[in-house]
Amino acid sequence: MNLAIIGCGGIGRMHAEMAARCGLKIVACADKDPDAAKALARRYNALATTDADGAIRRPDVDIVLVTTPTPRHAGVVIDAAKAGKHIFCEKPFASTVQQGRTAIAAVKKARVKLFVGHVVRYFHEFETLRAQIQAGKIGEPGYVKMYRGGIYPGGPSSWFRDYAQSGGVTFDCMIHDLDWLRYMFGEPDRIFCQALRRSEPEKLDYSQVTLKMRNGMLALVIGTWAHPAGFQVKVEVCGSAGMLQFDSNISSLSAMKREVKGAGPTMIVPSSAEDVSPYELEWRDFIGWIEGKHEPRVTPEDALRAVEIALAALKSADTGRPVEL
Amino acid sequence: MPKIGIMSFAHMHAYSYGACLNALPEAEFVAVWDDKPRRGRAAARQFGATFVSKLEKFLDLDLDGVIICSENVKHREMTTLAAQAGKWVLCEKPLATNVADAHAMIKACEKAKVGLGTAFPCRFAAPLRVARDRIVSGEFGAVYAAACTNNGSNPGGWFAEDMLSGGGATMDHTVHVVDVLRWITGKEFRKVYCEAGNVLHRDTLETDDVGLLQLEMEGGAQVSHVASWSRPKSFPTWGDVTIEFICEKGVLNVDAFNQRVDVYSDAAMKAEWVSWGGNPDLGLVRDFVRAIMEKRPPCATGLDGLRATEVTVAAYESLKSGNVVKIRA
Repeated sequence: MNLAIIGCGGIGRMHAEMAARCGLKIVACADKDPDAAKALARRYNALATTDADGAIRRPDVDIVLVTTPTPRHAGVVIDAAKAGKHIFCEKPFASTVQQGRTAIAAVKKARVKLFVGHVVRYFHEFETLRAQIQAGKIGEPGYVKMYRGGIYPGGPSSWFRDYAQSGGVTFDCMIHDLDWLRYMFGEPDRIFCQALRRSEPEKLDYSQVTLKMRNGMLALVIGTWAHPAGFQVKVEVCGSAGMLQFDSNISSLSAMKREVKGAGPTMIVPSSAEDVSPYELEWRDFIGWIEGKHEPRVTPEDALRAVEIALAALKSADTGRPVEL
Repeated sequence: MPKIGIMSFAHMHAYSYGACLNALPEAEFVAVWDDKPRRGRAAARQFGATFVSKLEKFLDLDLDGVIICSENVKHREMTTLAAQAGKWVLCEKPLATNVADAHAMIKACEKAKVGLGTAFPCRFAAPLRVARDRIVSGEFGAVYAAACTNNGSNPGGWFAEDMLSGGGATMDHTVHVVDVLRWITGKEFRKVYCEAGNVLHRDTLETDDVGLLQLEMEGGAQVSHVASWSRPKSFPTWGDVTIEFICEKGVLNVDAFNQRVDVYSDAAMKAEWVSWGGNPDLGLVRDFVRAIMEKRPPCATGLDGLRATEVTVAAYESLKSGNVVKIRA
């Protein structure tokens, strides 16, 4: 099957490699920035273009990868659905619930498949946590703490640095953990959030979210784009008969490069030394679904719900009150 | 040399304070009173002190100060009686389970012109002292946010009985971190939102075993705090006090009791974290003894205990109402 990539930034490049590993052929790379499109297209002998619509509508394209800034996701998904293409969309699925609903309606109408990259569901460490919980190792889970983040991503002019576009760490980064919590423990009832969202004297975001789950469990989720460097993921699950802890800083492989001052990396992808990347696993899941082999681990409704929960967190941060879900 | 007595060994910290008193050359651990005579007698024997079964007789002794380690709800009565008998008081935390009790305790000590201290040993933990020094120095600029934990294991016993403890993990494990943040930033807490759960120990406890607090301080710093009894029996240590400070000029993490050597002993069949850090209780007890000698307030006063209690009480109010609660100060 052939792939058109819409959005050739950091995440677009990473997904291109994963898709290629899964045997997809990259035929078109579109980006508003012609240089970004060219750089990626060259690697795969694909067409470079600034015309996203043209790339989507090419007859030889089966799948469209949506790796634009988040506010454009829904629009590109709708265009791709209308053109009858299957869609892999990076998270967050959409900037608003309405956008997400409209996009899902378009996908349903066109009878194409939409997959949203909630990749944490595929991470080996998270799968191991899940297996231990399901095996009853810690009894009944009662409290979960999740922690994710590091340096503020993106260069000085990056869309990540515009809270209106990225939603800051709560919407762009913590949505991974909000999705995983719901995946593991069901629906949240109530959410409370404090989010820093500073721009002066420097871009710094730090988000603290409390969730009360319908089953009585509690969760505290912390997202940071306030650190001077690095990236760290920590999970702690406390149960009636034990506890699980994971810390990405305790790792089989570590390396540290001197970074350029005054700007973060264009994207942050946690990485460990592993046989198969979780990003490749999500592509395999998506492709298997298209081929009719199985149902996907992430449904479009899951992705929409993650957007709803993350937006509820931001609403709580804006109003200073808990939000019922 | 100040003569000190301990009132009640209901709280296990009394055993540590007793050992500290015996280790201090400038103090004399004279007597024990306990409303459970068996417990009190055994403790007195352990520390070489005299057990006095009648409270009036204990209070008639020539003691300069007492350390009160009763169940939380009895702090007020014991503090008031000790103050009336002219003893300086170091009271185990939480100072009180409600604001009225804390006020009454402060008033009683003021009236009797004796010092009142709240047992906040974290102020004597070296990692927290260094964290405070570095933040106070201005090296990190303004504190924008803090994420804190005070996790522990299930203490059981009276801790889990609301009528004696005044609450669960939130009552037990909120005040240390509240005090540390006030001490480090010099600012008061303004608002709190709290969720609490009891999934972990609901078969054995009637109280909450996890409290998740979201707080706002004067000047707007956003704080999250986990007060829990979540550490399982298999965990290699009792728990933790941790704070991540997000500041204008950087991030500072303190894990106050994580100065450790990891021990794997086949005799225990579980890993053990053995501390090589200092003993904060020794600093706390020494400060109390010296406060008596120097006729100055202890490091953490009754007012500090009251401020911490106000936050806990507001957290439970929030839990009941489901809303953010303003903290009176």
